Amino acid sequence: MKIAVLVKQVPGADSPLPIQSNQNWVDEGAVAFIMNESDNYALEEALQIRESMGEGEVVAVSLGPDRIQKVIREALAKGADRAIHIQMDTEGVIDPLVTASHFAHALKEENFDLIFTGLQSDDLGMGQTGIILGEMLGMATASLAMATELGDGKIKVKRELEAGWFQWVSLTLPASVSIQSGLNTPRYPSLKGIMGAKRKELKVVTPNVVDATQSLERVYLPKSEKQTVMIEGSADQIVEKLVETFRNEIKVL
Amino acid sequence: MDILIVLEDNNGKIHRMGLESIAAAQKLANGMSLSMGTLVMGANGNALAEEASKYNVGEVLKINNEHLSSYSSDGYAETVKQVIEQENPTYVIFGHTYQVRDYAPKVSAKLMKPFLVDNVDVSTNEGNAVFTKQMFNAKLFSDVIPTGDGPYLISFQSAAFSSEKVDLGSAAVRNCTVNLDVSMIRTESEEPFQEEAGGIDLTSADIIVSIGRGIGKEENIPLAVELSKALGGELAASRPVVDSGWLPSAHQIGSSGQSVSPKLYLALGISGAIQHVVGMKGSKNIVTINKDPDAPIFEISDYGVVGDILEIIPKLTEAIQALKN
Amino acid sequence: MSEREVLDLDVLFVGAGPASLAGAIHLKRLLSKSGTEASVAVLEKASEIGAHSLSGAIVDPRALRELFPDFPDTDLPFEAEVSEEHLYYLTENKKIPFPFVPPSMSHHHCFVTSLGKLTRWLGNKCENEGVDIFCGFAGTKLLYEGEQVVGVRTGDRGIDKNGEKKPQFEPGADIRAKVVILGEGTRGSLTKNLIDRHELMQGCNPQVWAVGVKELWQMPSGTVPPGYVAHTMGFPLGQAIFGGAFLYGMQNDIWDLGLVVGLDYQNPGVDSHHELQRLKNHPWIRSLLSAGKMIAYGAKSLPEGGWYSIPKLSVGGAMLIGDSAGFMNGQRLKGIHLAMKSGMLAAETTAEALATGKFSESDLADYDSRIASSWIRDELWKVRNFHQGFDRGLFGGLANAGIGLFTGGRGWGIKNRLSSEAGHKKMQKGVKKNRYQDLQFDGTYLFDKVTDVYYSATAHEEDQVPHLKIRDQDVCVSKCTEEYGNPCEKFCPANVYEMLPDGDGQRLQINFSNCVHCKTCDIMDPYQIIDWVPPEGGDGPVWVNL
Repeated sequence: MKIAVLVKQVPGADSPLPIQSNQNWVDEGAVAFIMNESDNYALEEALQIRESMGEGEVVAVSLGPDRIQKVIREALAKGADRAIHIQMDTEGVIDPLVTASHFAHALKEENFDLIFTGLQSDDLGMGQTGIILGEMLGMATASLAMATELGDGKIKVKRELEAGWFQWVSLTLPASVSIQSGLNTPRYPSLKGIMGAKRKELKVVTPNVVDATQSLERVYLPKSEKQTVMIEGSADQIVEKLVETFRNEIKVL
Repeated sequence: MDILIVLEDNNGKIHRMGLESIAAAQKLANGMSLSMGTLVMGANGNALAEEASKYNVGEVLKINNEHLSSYSSDGYAETVKQVIEQENPTYVIFGHTYQVRDYAPKVSAKLMKPFLVDNVDVSTNEGNAVFTKQMFNAKLFSDVIPTGDGPYLISFQSAAFSSEKVDLGSAAVRNCTVNLDVSMIRTESEEPFQEEAGGIDLTSADIIVSIGRGIGKEENIPLAVELSKALGGELAASRPVVDSGWLPSAHQIGSSGQSVSPKLYLALGISGAIQHVVGMKGSKNIVTINKDPDAPIFEISDYGVVGDILEIIPKLTEAIQALKN
Repeated sequence: MSEREVLDLDVLFVGAGPASLAGAIHLKRLLSKSGTEASVAVLEKASEIGAHSLSGAIVDPRALRELFPDFPDTDLPFEAEVSEEHLYYLTENKKIPFPFVPPSMSHHHCFVTSLGKLTRWLGNKCENEGVDIFCGFAGTKLLYEGEQVVGVRTGDRGIDKNGEKKPQFEPGADIRAKVVILGEGTRGSLTKNLIDRHELMQGCNPQVWAVGVKELWQMPSGTVPPGYVAHTMGFPLGQAIFGGAFLYGMQNDIWDLGLVVGLDYQNPGVDSHHELQRLKNHPWIRSLLSAGKMIAYGAKSLPEGGWYSIPKLSVGGAMLIGDSAGFMNGQRLKGIHLAMKSGMLAAETTAEALATGKFSESDLADYDSRIASSWIRDELWKVRNFHQGFDRGLFGGLANAGIGLFTGGRGWGIKNRLSSEAGHKKMQKGVKKNRYQDLQFDGTYLFDKVTDVYYSATAHEEDQVPHLKIRDQDVCVSKCTEEYGNPCEKFCPANVYEMLPDGDGQRLQINFSNCVHCKTCDIMDPYQIIDWVPPEGGDGPVWVNL
């Protein structure tokens, strides 16, 4: 059982996000990076599958510049067996077709049974790489898994749907599944895990050039051009105007 | 057709986000003088086609195929791909639903054409369409454009456009066929089911009633609960309410809680500390009630009331309940 | 994973600050020169190196040049060499330059530096030497065999707010080491325990601290000269509160503005965060900053007591380095070079101990001797009575410092050693003048505490027992309110402590999640009932370049 887990390094939820003066991207020198949250859950799910099967290999795969080695080592410290670093500069790279192509190229010879990804990255939020990669490698795909159950040549996945609905889907292996946060309890790395991470295989590969099909023109702060409409009067008058606003302006009633 | 709108089934009616995508498509069509068409498929295709034909959508393509009677990502992706190849639209518009997130990336991969997702707006500039997308958990905006030739797949975020503001019209219905083989469908789905939400997912709520320190004490919380029920929304809170132990942290919105951008965010007794604001300022409509006229939250609100929430909430609840009855 | 992990190492440094990192690098090199095999590791409570590092800073390159003699200055992680320096006395509206900068306060040939950047750089070098750096692990307990320190236990992870184990619970690990070197920084928590248990402060002056609060401001392109240095006295603190402000020009058009406030003031209402906002009201500061945007905030205490407040530095199996020991030159406002050198000296003692296999108190006392005959001592000796002079107010302190320049550091020119009192004891009871009557926060230039805390990017696992232990909360809601008006609400720069109405009375709410790990509460609480212990590993601020 070979499981690849794609992990991405993204700015932390509380990190400052100063925008470069040319508005091309954020100033990465001022950003505090962490492992993408849902990727952490994906990694844990893969590790738990390997443990329950008593055999198998979990390979952490990540794409980016040198700084991402930190999340690769974190994945190794938590228990991934080895890792692949697709080394490239990612500033301005937003096209999931491009990143998925790079992953496909790096992984296709290995014939993974499963590919796990987080459902989307907390920086770009495209939410497609895992599914596109699955399609490129001829795998069945499913998204937003809230639970997984491995069977004979199949994996069952509990898909999250809108408004508290769920659906179990059974996929033939090999399969690529995107994982929703919260489906398990990610482990902490142990001291020995951290020490051992240095001795695990970390293969660095350089990707080919792939043309992008979508491009980021600029990033900017949402403008707050709000002209606040103040609603005044007695409590009853206010309530009347609010109901009218909800009904006719905002259209929620 | 230049623009193909892909509609989704919601138990025999067009999913609200499908209607929203029609509104988005109409904006794009008007801005760049483009023609439209819309696609319906699945078990309720006929009903959906009938409903779609009443809007200004160009024409309605209907696919009846036994392999689409229940959803599968392979089936839907292959279908949309084939329709795109038949009709050659430049833009293919979806609502950013769970279903679309599951299969549309496959269409992108099959065609090697981009999928620009979860946009909150589109603007047209000298014959070019520019799509606006939130990034970094809605902390920043970005402008994204497709490069190279079409088709381009586009999805819009819930409530980015209004399903109420869709132009009516009359569209002819045309039957379409696609070639599907059962062997290409690699998944088997069971019936969807509902579950008591273990965690509360505020991110998919369209209406949020959120309380802050101004609620005063734990005993006043049921007032807010009643209001949220009357409105059909979810209850949320700012940090101090959770810290005081009045609501579980699953309700918390802000930098150490959830980030939301619902259609309506009703902020009750919330001052607008930055830790809270970063979690909700992307909301489409922010209505604030606070007795402090200097509360920073007014600056980011669409509608504001300087008043006593304890007086207003029960009256508001009553008025809404009366309206609904 | 529910069994306690046990790790056997030779040397463990606690705290990945400049002292430990320099020490670990130096140690590894000494070991490799002598052909000794030994495992060296550093424990760091932050999620990554540098995340909890905060200083002004102007660094004296002396220790770095000793450690990396072949590196040109351009390869060292500085912002810029000090290009111009100013010393001002501020009134509310005016800025009066000192006629000259006393040589001992000169920062000539020193470098404006971000401590966060420096520690990350050192951390990198450290890992290249083969040192394991464990981030996200807090040292919470010293392990003993008799009176010999034999290791450190890290904190449990995965305990909920009721003290119950969560599903991911993992007990802390026991790291056994022949030598434990505590470089926890200011008011270290293990350091506090070590000092108490072994009475290491016997015969010393009590340590006295200050708190530094700072904001980083992003300015328009080309408007900040890197290497610009200004220090001020006077406004906003006035004569009776020790401290002053600093303004340093960093790279990338960033102004680094900070205020150091002595934690031995008398007025219980003093609030260092508010003082920083008052400082920004000064027309000179406003003219410099108002076109920019505040991008980061942080606070940290610093040891000001000087030479006589430094404890005995070694016991069996353990040594104290850096700010934990109190190596800071208050007059020059520099401690990083001293911290690094102390780490390097501790490394030398350790290398010898590893060679002989002996780690008793008398063996490690070699470190104390090395310190006493090093340039650390030479430097600190000259300013040994600096802080104590300020017991007589600002001008008294300056006079004492001035006289000290000519008398080799004697207090008031005559006394070899001035005594001093612990800072929290100086706090006076009763309501004092409200210094912040006219202070208005506009949210764009002057920020309230809660907003500034957001810019410290501090976060803690919410579901855990608060890491601020108050031994008797009854005191908070009764005695302290009457006597001091709950100064915790004011001296904490991060809005951790809040007195809230509770029925007829009030209760103390501890917003531990806001904590920036400055240790001011542990230092300044007049009843000394607050014990700061590390929260779950990985928690706390995430400073990038503070």
